[in-house]
This record gives sequence, C-alpha cells and structure tokens, in this order.
Amino acid sequence: MAKTLTLEDMAKYPFMPEAAEEVRKLGFRIDGLFEADYAPILERAERRVIEALTTSPPEVRYDPSLYKEDVEMLSFPVAVALVTSLANEYVKRRYALAEARRAYELLKRESEEKIVEIARKFGWRIRFSGEKAGLIKFDFALNFIDYLRNAASFHDKDWKLINKFVINGEVHLSKQEVARLLQEEIRRYIEGKIDPKIRSALPEKIFERADKIKQAYSSSFKELPTEDFSPSEATEEAFPPCIMELYRAAQSGRHVPHVGRFALTSFLINIGMSPDSIVGLFRRSSDFNERMTRYQIEHIAGERGSGTKYTPPKCDTLQTHGLCPGMDDICRGIKHPLTYYRRKMRAMKAKRVKESKG
Amino acid sequence: MDTQAFIQERFSEFYKGNASGIETPKSIENREFGFTLFKEKMMVRHKGFINAEELRDFIKKNAPSNAYYSAAYYSVPEAKMDEKGWLGSDLFFDIDADHIPAKCNKIHDSWMCRKCGLRGRGSAPGKCPSCGNESFDERTWPCEICLEAARVETMNLLDILTSDLGFSFSDIRCSFSGHRGYHVQVESEEILKLDSIARKEIVDYVTGTGIDVLFHGLESIRRDGGKLIAGPGLHERGWRGRAARGTYEFLLAATPEDLMRLGLKKSIVDEIIANKDLMLESWVFGGPWNIVRGLGLKGWSKIVQRGVSLQSAKIDTVVTVDIHRLIRLPNTLHGKTGLLKVSFPPNEIEQFDPLKRSVAFRNGDVKIYVEEAPKFRLGDDSFGPFKKQTVTLPLSAALFLLCKDAARVVD
Repeated sequence: MAKTLTLEDMAKYPFMPEAAEEVRKLGFRIDGLFEADYAPILERAERRVIEALTTSPPEVRYDPSLYKEDVEMLSFPVAVALVTSLANEYVKRRYALAEARRAYELLKRESEEKIVEIARKFGWRIRFSGEKAGLIKFDFALNFIDYLRNAASFHDKDWKLINKFVINGEVHLSKQEVARLLQEEIRRYIEGKIDPKIRSALPEKIFERADKIKQAYSSSFKELPTEDFSPSEATEEAFPPCIMELYRAAQSGRHVPHVGRFALTSFLINIGMSPDSIVGLFRRSSDFNERMTRYQIEHIAGERGSGTKYTPPKCDTLQTHGLCPGMDDICRGIKHPLTYYRRKMRAMKAKRVKESKG
Repeated sequence: MDTQAFIQERFSEFYKGNASGIETPKSIENREFGFTLFKEKMMVRHKGFINAEELRDFIKKNAPSNAYYSAAYYSVPEAKMDEKGWLGSDLFFDIDADHIPAKCNKIHDSWMCRKCGLRGRGSAPGKCPSCGNESFDERTWPCEICLEAARVETMNLLDILTSDLGFSFSDIRCSFSGHRGYHVQVESEEILKLDSIARKEIVDYVTGTGIDVLFHGLESIRRDGGKLIAGPGLHERGWRGRAARGTYEFLLAATPEDLMRLGLKKSIVDEIIANKDLMLESWVFGGPWNIVRGLGLKGWSKIVQRGVSLQSAKIDTVVTVDIHRLIRLPNTLHGKTGLLKVSFPPNEIEQFDPLKRSVAFRNGDVKIYVEEAPKFRLGDDSFGPFKKQTVTLPLSAALFLLCKDAARVVD
C-alpha cells in the first residue's frame, strides 16, 4: 500500500511519522519558533496543552475552521516539547490521552481504507474482514497479538480476548472497536514521544512558556494519586471476599498457594500492616520458615531487592488463578481488591458518623 | 545398598551413554538452566551454557535428579534475577493431572502424616485426623486414567492454539513430562515479547475464564410479538462453536443431578430430561433453544457455561503467566519416576503412548522390597499391585518404584 496521507490527514493525525517528515521538509526548527511568523503555531501549541488540562474527559479539539492545516500539524511537536519541559507525569499522561481521544473521534468517521492505512503505519497486521457470526458482520480482522498489545489493559469484559470472535490468529472487530484500539496505540506512542531525555535540548523559551501555563492553570496540575492507608485503620471487616478467604486460611495454618500468598501479603502491606505482623500471620503454616517468610514479605514491601513496593493483583488476575471465591455487591463495581477495601472503609466510616450523630 | 545412591548410579550410567540425546533449546546461550542434584536439597540455578556440548558434559558429570531450562531468553542468564536482562519468553503450557479432577486419585494416591505416620488414600486432608498435624508426604501416581484425562485437555489446548490463535503445528512442541502430564510449547517470534498481562489473556482464552456466553451467540430475540432464544451452532468457529459443542456434550450425558447442580428449577430439569432426545436431534435445525418452556436466557447461560468448561483446556495457569519459568529439559530423566521427558509432534498426540515412549532403562533386573504400590504399566508390561513384598523387576519398573520412594533396594 503506497498511499500517502493528505495535508488534511496530517492536520488530523499530526503524530504520524509522515507528519514529522513533512515538518522536517518545511524546514521548521524549534529555535525559530519565537519569530513573529510562527506566533499562531506557538499559540495553538499552548492551546493544545491547555485543552488537555481543562476538558473532562480530556480531549484536544479539532476545528478546521479555526486553525489552518499547517498550524494544526506544526503545533503538535511544539505541544509535545511544552509537555516534555513540564516534566510532570500527570500532565504527560493527560496530554497523550487528550490527543489520542481526539484521534479516536476523528477515526470513527474515517473510511475503512483510511483506518487500515493508519493502523498499518503502526505495524498492525489488519485487513478487511466481512466475516459473519450469527447476525453480526465484522469490518476488520486484526492479528491477535496486535490486539492484545492494546486491549489487554482494557477492563470491560467485552474486550477480553475470550469474548471476541477469534479465528486463525485474527480477532474480528467493528470499525468503532478498531478506532478505540488505535486510540490506545496512539496514546502510548505519544507518551513515548514525551521523553525526559530531550529536555536538555529544548530552548529556554519553551520552559518559560510552559511555566506560564503552569502558573495560569496550577489548579489543573496534579501529582499522581498514591494509595495510602494509615495502619491504625487496617480492619478485617473491610477485606474483600478473596483476601478474607486467604487471610482465614493463613490464620488457621491451611495451605495457601504461592499466588495467594503474594496477593495476601501485598494487600496487607498496602493497607499498612507491618511486615512483623504479617510474618506472625504465616507462623501457623505447616511449612513455615521465618527467615524465608520475612525475606519474601520485605521483598514485597520494597525493603529489599529492586525497592519496588508491590500492589496485589487485580480482580481478573485473581480470577485467572482461581482465587476469586465469587463476588459480592461491592465487588461488582470495582476491579481491584484495594479499591474494595477503600470503598468499604469509607462506607463504614460514613455509617459510624451517622450512627454517632444519632 | 543405599537406595538414593543406587538411583544416582543408574542416572549417571544413563547419561554416560545417552547425553548426546538430550534435546537442547534454541538459543541455548540465552537460557538459564537449573538442576536438582542427589546430594543437595537446594536447586542449583542461574547456570548458563554456551553450547549443547557444554550442557551435555555438565549433565554427564553431575547426573542431576532433575534438569530444567528457562522458557525465557536473557542477555546474561547467569546473572541475578533482576540483572539478567529479559529478552523474551516462549509461550509455555503445563497440563498436569493434579489440575484435572479425576476419580482415580482415590485409588492410587496416598498420603502420610509427617508427625504421627498415619496413612490414607486420595489427596491429603487439611489436618491429620489422628494428631491434627498439617504437613504430609504425598504420593501421586501417573496412572492411565489420569494421563488419558491430561491427553484430552492437551488436545483441547492444541485445537484452540491452532484453529483460534492461528499457530501452526510447526510452531508447537509437545512433550510428556515424565510424570503426570504434558507440556506444550509455542516457539514463535511473534509471542516472544508478550508480557504477563497479554499471556494472562491467552490463559483466560484457553481455560474459558471470564467468558460471557452472551458474546458467543446466545441471545434473546423478538419475533412475531414474542421472545425467542437463539444460540450458537455446532459448526461455527471459535468459542461460538465450542460453546455449542460443549452444550451438546453436556446435555448428552446430563443426569437430573447434574442439571440441579447448575441451579435450575426442578420443573425445568424434569422437562429437559423428558425432552432430551428431541433437544439433541434439534441441533441440525437451529438448536434446542426453544424446546423447553420456561428455560430462558438465564437458564441457558448456565448450561452453555457448563458446556464451555467441557471444551476448555485445564492448564496450570501460573506457569503460562510466569515469564521466568524453568521447565524440564527434554530427554532428561524425571527424578520422581526415572522416566524421560519425551517430545513428539503435536499431530501424533492421539497415538502417543507416554508410558512406553518415556521408558529410559531397558536392560537388567533388580531385586527390591516394595512397601506399597498400585498396579502400573511401563512399556508393554504391567506390574503389581504390590504390598510389603520382595520382587525382582526389570530395571525401569524397579527404578520407577524406587524414585517414587515406594520401595528400597535389597542386596
């Protein structure tokens, strides 16, 4: 397929390699950016970042009546430079998401041919399908590895590979589904472009402009939230059913499989239980070895080895390993045992407050 | 003579004559190797070899009780775990009789309490009924029924890997583990870099975990002012067809108890049983979905879900998701049986006879005292059952009991 993207395409999808090539051909250099001719580009680049920060859900606008095609295309690498200079993980993720969501909205309205063309630029093995299953007719067939690379992080059950129509290594999909998967590919691609290593190569003025955005929109700047519970709050009543089951098993010295031990230990550490208390919990196990147990727990707590503090596996991982004993009402609304705990704690606290009031 | 020393000597002799037959994985220089030795309890890990010859020499010299290699490829296989530099990993599946519910384990498996010595049949209880202790020595046996169950699961897996996921038989290597199961390994450039999350999705796909049968053709449709149920057909591809075939298979053998266990109402169960033949015949024209009155989408979901589990492959989920896993090296001896792990092409799985092909020792007889052993077969000969008796057996059968710790050598 030797088709090339039009200027309109490059304005819509400025992250495509062709667009970067076009930018180079135009002789555009970031140091020249502050000359008067380029003012509309710099301005649009700033708007891109601001739009990402101030819309919810985040989405950069596409309005051809407002911005000329070359401005739309050239402002993208400048916006990436602005975000890079800010060195803020939250802004980076939000910006990449906002650009990717914009691309999704545009892709949904494209022809099948255009979608295939763009997907193949990202190395996707995709073709038209026309395959039928029951009453459904599918538009595209995508190699299942390419599918998994993008869909594995989606949580809805209709994205699980098992719930898709898969034959001969291909997943059969609708146009909208392919556009959604492309959004994910684009989001990761843009996040990858925001590389802290190129910060030193950016002109001082980029930092100045970025700082102005930061000051004007300081309330939209966040640090990524961290899960924190104070130890005094660790309470069994708020454990999700899976953890409760493992906890009871450990307490009574019954055998807990390796994955289960990991889930339980990392859960308890994350809700603030001390490694000492956790060692105590496993003491009743028939194959208890204090030195080994302590080592493993401290490893999970991030006090040894790589220093990473581990979080427990997500619900669907626990299901895969047969550790989910069945869901209760709270389970149905969450995807992670820690979220369960936090929610139930909040509910219990609210109840207590209500009761104390009378 | 000391039994352990006897086993080690036989292993050593075997490797002196047969080390050249040890199959080496591709890119041997990027694999980690691990061994258990007779004299030490700990596993020797993080070993690396630059070529097949070096590996075979090591095995010849040390005669390990078990030999493993990593499904993963590393830049520096000898380094510590987090410094190895993970390059990728083969896609690996382990089907072990331990993960397949079979009735025969009550007959041949046994346990012994480590504290009071009480013995029992089947899987070990949570607590010793006599002294309350919670640790046991367990002995499981590779019996024909267990191995047959594992073969069925392996065939289900191979079908999913080829028809759905599109791998060709030339990408797939099958082997008998030398004990109670099969290994299936996909060696394809494509899957090398898959992370644990993607591998978990593949695990869920082959085990049917997280399936919602409403995505596979089961639905309620409006017709002529009423509601009708529609479902997948037997000859459809992917999980749609598999769900239909599993449903057929389940209905074919279903007893009222099986249906009650799904949580269906007694009146519905009676109707299903009364109309069973009609339901089975109906598959040629659209399926059994509207034969039983009162059996709606909810009830059918439960039945089809049951059908899905019959068609799924019961693999050890942890093994496939683990991208650092060590797996037994083909054509080496299994320390628990003295049998070989043997590879075979996947299209031969139906004819493959694990208890014949894995026999490593062919000459000589040994006199042993057998504490207790069920009847077992090796090659074309059957042996046992034995109970507290001294017998002279061919080396392979004797070694099998000795490795199982069910017998000792008699001078």
